[in-house]
Amino acid sequence: MINNPSHPKKGHLKSKDCKFTKAGIEYIDYKQTDILERFINDQGKILPRRVTGTSAKHQRQLSTAVKRARFLALIPYVSENMR
Amino acid sequence: MKKHFYEMTYILNPVLDEDKFSEVVSHVNKLIEDNDGEIVDVDEWGVKKLAYDIDKKSTGYYVNMYFKAPGETIDVVERNMRIHDDVMRYLTLKYDAKMMRHYTLAQKGELPALYEETEEESDEDE
Repeated sequence: MINNPSHPKKGHLKSKDCKFTKAGIEYIDYKQTDILERFINDQGKILPRRVTGTSAKHQRQLSTAVKRARFLALIPYVSENMR
Repeated sequence: MKKHFYEMTYILNPVLDEDKFSEVVSHVNKLIEDNDGEIVDVDEWGVKKLAYDIDKKSTGYYVNMYFKAPGETIDVVERNMRIHDDVMRYLTLKYDAKMMRHYTLAQKGELPALYEETEEESDEDE
């Protein structure tokens, strides 16, 4: 798929750069739910890094941050309309 | 004794009134101070809607605080939080160097914004 430019999924792939690395973010805070929400889908699942292009280091941090935010009910485990 | 920097967020039962909220907050603060801790900052977010119901309640009173304390204090504080009827959730985090840098930046309001990929403004990195 990556090598095939006419693949239907190709258009959905955005730049492969990590947004956290580019911004120079060292620690992903669970309180910044506006950032976390951009890396979860509408069901509340964490998006894979093949979709978001996040670096492995930041994806690990992101997943911890999302889980902390879920525990404190800042973001849902499963979004309201799915229940 | 070596003191570490901690962050603690807890959610109080929203059924209580304002006086009771401040009573619990000062109770927690006193507990930390009595156990060789020092409060750095207490930020009460107030009543917020929860993303999902906890104990059949859809809102909660959030308190976010920062303090320095030796490790033993955390045992005492967490035990009290667990027993306390009005505390619905609590989360304590020990800060490392990265998180400290993040915290000082946040205090100054200089947190780096997330990198945005916008079609119009992409000419500067090309």
